[in-house]
Amino acid sequence: MENQEIKVQVNHLTKRFGDLLVLNDISFNIKKGEFVCIVGPTGCGKTTFLNLLTRLIDPTEGEILIDGEPADPKKHSISFVFQEPSAFPWLTAQQNIEYGLRIKKKSSEEIAAQSEKIIGLLGLEKYRNAYPHEMSVSMEQRVVIGRAFALNPDLLLMDEPYGQMDIKMRYYLEDEVIRLWQATGSTVLFITHNLEEATYLAERVLILSNKPANIKANINVDLPRPRKVSDPEFIKIRKEITDMIKWW
Amino acid sequence: MKKNQIKTRDMLLSALSILGLIAVWFLVSNSKPDFFPTPMATIERLIRLIEKPVMKISILGHVLASLKRVVLALIAAIILGVGIGLFMGWNKKVRAAINPILMALRPIPPIAWIPLIILLFGIGEFPKVLLVFIGAFFPIVMNTMSGVALVEDMYLKVGKIYKANTAQMLRHVVFPAAMPAILAGIKIAISSGWMVVVAAEMLSSKSGLGFLINRGRDSYDVALIMVAMILIGVVGALLSAVFTLIERKLCGWMSKE
Repeated sequence: MENQEIKVQVNHLTKRFGDLLVLNDISFNIKKGEFVCIVGPTGCGKTTFLNLLTRLIDPTEGEILIDGEPADPKKHSISFVFQEPSAFPWLTAQQNIEYGLRIKKKSSEEIAAQSEKIIGLLGLEKYRNAYPHEMSVSMEQRVVIGRAFALNPDLLLMDEPYGQMDIKMRYYLEDEVIRLWQATGSTVLFITHNLEEATYLAERVLILSNKPANIKANINVDLPRPRKVSDPEFIKIRKEITDMIKWW
Repeated sequence: MKKNQIKTRDMLLSALSILGLIAVWFLVSNSKPDFFPTPMATIERLIRLIEKPVMKISILGHVLASLKRVVLALIAAIILGVGIGLFMGWNKKVRAAINPILMALRPIPPIAWIPLIILLFGIGEFPKVLLVFIGAFFPIVMNTMSGVALVEDMYLKVGKIYKANTAQMLRHVVFPAAMPAILAGIKIAISSGWMVVVAAEMLSSKSGLGFLINRGRDSYDVALIMVAMILIGVVGALLSAVFTLIERKLCGWMSKE
């Protein structure tokens, strides 16, 4: 991991709305192909942070670099998975997965190959022609996640995508997102309130403080996969993160 | 109750209500058959009309003449209505500029335009099509505008995240999301256009179902009026049914709640 090149650099990121300081001097790096989880209390400025990363709003100070260049929506591709399922209801599962590729005007061969790969990884072969109204919420969210990975984005942001799922479904989907990440080599920034989920998924967990938010701690999760939630090492790291949060 | 049973029950109820209407017609017409022809007399008149066309145009020819006017006007209304509605829904400045004009023109019934249109364009084919266009345009433009303005923010955000340009956003997100509203507008436009074409033909025409009604009035042929009225109803219902099929085909993705 130490030798991996840096994909995303966030330098002294600060955001003020008038007198209200929301983000205070946030700096961190994400390596190429890394899976980073961010945990933080509700109302700590998480949405603002995400909006800055997707460049929907501009920072007051600081910069975001992708591959050493200022993040530019026209140049870099940043994908986003919202908490609520956001598949287009007028497109089938396969068409939804291909959506980003079509917008980027990829060749039809590339679109077909990439969508087949993602459909295969998601095991959605039987449901490729299903419309979202024919799917469960979890299946729709899987299609949305497939759509985000299909594009091989420079950075994939996931905003509590499993927030609405029950615990059994969460375990299944967490394994699936790891499979997609490993198969595509994407760089992922995953936001969650669930500390067990963060420990299960991440190679590194960033802990945000209360508002004005900054990075309170940076914890490496150097555990082999598939991880076991009952493994003493797993419990130790989860406890370490929990203790950090108790401090708030 | 099973789905099939409900379907059979509904079909039976529909058939009963139509039979009921015919029974009422029968009863009412029997008291004054000279003023109000019976169902049998109307069917006889329809057979005579098939055997001996009016103005050397077959009954099908009259239906097609009316349909042609409606279809031409609808094509123009869909192109302009959807186009203008799309931009009005998408761009608040365009909406602010055009909406007051539409608001002022929309309440004017198409029939109120007839004198002005005759003065400007005479009594040929174009003024009739123009009148139908006026009847069809407003529901389409208003529904398209509302449909576009009400596209869920989530879909727009997804489009933005994938960096869709304006043309891609309109084509791949806004247009399909607004499609149900647009089709609902077109459906209203079809029935409105069909009503207007009959009115336009009643004023000055040598073909069409409205013309047949006029001919019936001039020659005191009430059965002919009834035949034309029934045909207007049947063709209007058929148009609506055909469009419902198209709507299902185009919006098969909508949940059937």
